[in-house]
Amino acid sequence: MPRVVRSTIIDAPVERLWAVLRDFNGHESWHPIVAKSTIERGYPADKIGCVRRFTMQDGAELREQLLALSDLEMTFSYCLLETPIPLFNYVAHVRLLPVTDGNRSFWHWEGRFTTPAGRETELAELVGNEVYSNGIAAVRQLPDLAG
Amino acid sequence: MARVYVSSVINAPAAKVWARVRDFNGLPNWHPGIAESRIENGEPADKVGCVRAFALRNGDRLREKLLGLSDFDMVCTYSILDSPMPLTNYVATLRLTPVTEQDRTFIEWSADFDCAPELEAELVSGVGGNVFQTGFDALNRAFGA
Repeated sequence: MPRVVRSTIIDAPVERLWAVLRDFNGHESWHPIVAKSTIERGYPADKIGCVRRFTMQDGAELREQLLALSDLEMTFSYCLLETPIPLFNYVAHVRLLPVTDGNRSFWHWEGRFTTPAGRETELAELVGNEVYSNGIAAVRQLPDLAG
Repeated sequence: MARVYVSSVINAPAAKVWARVRDFNGLPNWHPGIAESRIENGEPADKVGCVRAFALRNGDRLREKLLGLSDFDMVCTYSILDSPMPLTNYVATLRLTPVTEQDRTFIEWSADFDCAPELEAELVSGVGGNVFQTGFDALNRAFGA
C-alpha cells in the first residue's frame, strides 16, 4: 500500500495556518487544481461525515468525506469516495504543530491508498506532487500567511 | 500537571539528527549544559529501562530512566528519577519528524510534571529554555542554521 508524505515549514503562526486548512470546503480558494468546491446536502463544512464535491480545473469531479476534525490537535482526516483516477481505499491525514522557535508552523500531509498493480509509483507521485506539494506551495503564497 | 513544549527546525536530514541525539548516554556530545554522563550498571545506552547518571556544568547531578526508544519513529521518552529540581512525575519526549521539503528536521521536546503551583512558571521556563531550547540552539550551530 503506497504511503505518500509531504511536510513543510510555513512562516506563520500555527493558528493562522489552521484557520485556512480546517475549512473542508476551502480548497477552491487556494488549491490550483481545484476549480469549485461544494459541501453536499447543505451540511456545515466542519460536520464529521460531510462530503465535499470538487470540480477540478480539467473538469473532472471527485467526492471526499470528512472522517475526523480536531481543533484541539489541529488535525483532520478524509477519504476519497469517487474519483476518475484509480485510487482505492484512499485515506489522508493533515496535522499541524507549532514551531515554538520562531513562531512558525509544521504541516504534515500524508495519504495511503491502493492502486492497480504497477501504477503505485506513478500515482504516488501524482498525489504527492500535484495535490500535496502544489497545495503547500499555493498556501505559502496566501496574503494572510506569506512572510 | 505542568507541560513544557518546545519545537524547532534543524537544517539537516532527520536521520543525521537522530544519529546525534538517539544515544541516551550522549548528551555531553551535543548539549552544552551537560558535563558528563554514564549509564549505570554497565548497561547498553539503548536498553529500555537503563538509567543515565549525568552532571550539569553547574555541578548538579541527575538520574534519568529510558522509558522508550524507537528508531522507526525517531522518538525517545524518559523520566527523571533524581534531580535537584522541585518536581515529580517528570516524563519527557524528544521526537524528530522529517520535513520532506528541503530535507530538514522538525524537532519537538516536551515534558509533563507535577510541582507546587507557585513554582510552575519558573520550572516551565527553566526546562523549556535552559534545557530544551539550549539543546536545539546547539544542534542548529552544529548542523548550520
